[in-house]
Amino acid sequence: MLLIEWSRTLLAQRPGLTLAALVLGGTALVAMASGWPPERLGLGASKFGLRVIGGVALGAVLLLPAAARPGAAPLLPAGLALAAVVVSVGEEVAFRGALYAALEDIGGAPLAIGGSTVLWTLAHALSHPLPFLGAVAAAGLLLALWRWACKDLVAPIIGHVIADLAL
Amino acid sequence: MKRAALLALGVVLYAVAAWMVAPGFYDGIAPPQPYNFTCPPPQAGANSKPSSGHVDIKVIGGVSDASSAYTDDGQIVIGFLPGAFEADGKNTISVDIKPYPTCPHPAGIQFVTNIYQISATAPLAKASNLDMLFSNLLPDPDKIYSATDPTDGWQSVGNAQPTRPSVISTQTSSLGYFAAGYRSTSPSSGAVTLGGGQTLPIIVAILIVVVILAGLPVAVLKRRSGPRRDRK
Repeated sequence: MLLIEWSRTLLAQRPGLTLAALVLGGTALVAMASGWPPERLGLGASKFGLRVIGGVALGAVLLLPAAARPGAAPLLPAGLALAAVVVSVGEEVAFRGALYAALEDIGGAPLAIGGSTVLWTLAHALSHPLPFLGAVAAAGLLLALWRWACKDLVAPIIGHVIADLAL
Repeated sequence: MKRAALLALGVVLYAVAAWMVAPGFYDGIAPPQPYNFTCPPPQAGANSKPSSGHVDIKVIGGVSDASSAYTDDGQIVIGFLPGAFEADGKNTISVDIKPYPTCPHPAGIQFVTNIYQISATAPLAKASNLDMLFSNLLPDPDKIYSATDPTDGWQSVGNAQPTRPSVISTQTSSLGYFAAGYRSTSPSSGAVTLGGGQTLPIIVAILIVVVILAGLPVAVLKRRSGPRRDRK
């Protein structure tokens, strides 16, 4: 997972390769979850409406600190919207889906939450300057806590997609 | 209850951590470095002055070497192929990049970057690649303009394309003054319109309303199903 994340980050910095690197990287991350039953990834269909509402709420929480500040916040360039969606879904399925499930099998929820957060943060070490990694880690922890508390991945996917599209 | 409390703690931790950094950390797309404006827009906050750059290019056998010139803050980079200059018996060619100290507003063009003067001790013989970084606080540029006089005569250069986030690139056959922008009569395609900084708060407000409106029926249903269970 780290190799995929770092590779796509480095490729995305090459002229003309940004969109392809992000889309291919996101798709590769989704493929990391192949073989896992959807329920183990938190992708069950029960209480689907609640999961969607939870995702919208998570999106609002992720955006709130930027929205509450005075002045303008940068918005994602329109041309990168598809890439943002693919990367968001890929990261959630890989980190809070497959990795979380694997770590939970080994060491229970504490290892799953802590381990997925640490690896998620490391995965962003190349794409984000050091001062941003605290916020990245906190976002990962919040999404992992939701995954644990609600046994759900649908809401983190929706929240992550909303946040990436808007910011 | 414990789960809800830990989740709430996660929300608080995230809010504090996200508040401590500049708004906007793209996931998977690195947050662009702060742009050093000559004339910063109001939303820019703290601003450093843009840097200048210099390079001496060797001339070997009458052919200028491959090289690139860029400012120390990397906001503008120009790359030269071998033989890019008319060397004419010179041993070295000096290239200087300087940010123009003021911000003229030519009619019909809205600049979103600083104006830079690129000068050399020899004229160009081959087209050179020019990359200009732009800020995410202003609409995206769709053209790079050049002029011999910064106050007048700006023309678009080549077929400028965004080559990666926050960078627009083109090719130029001559040196002079350069800036990236768009025609002011029509905002650039794919431009990020900030809406006076109100876009994001509106998005968040809509999300909150959606959660409340969608959550109300769920809460009502839960309340109704509660007593039925008690009767059983």
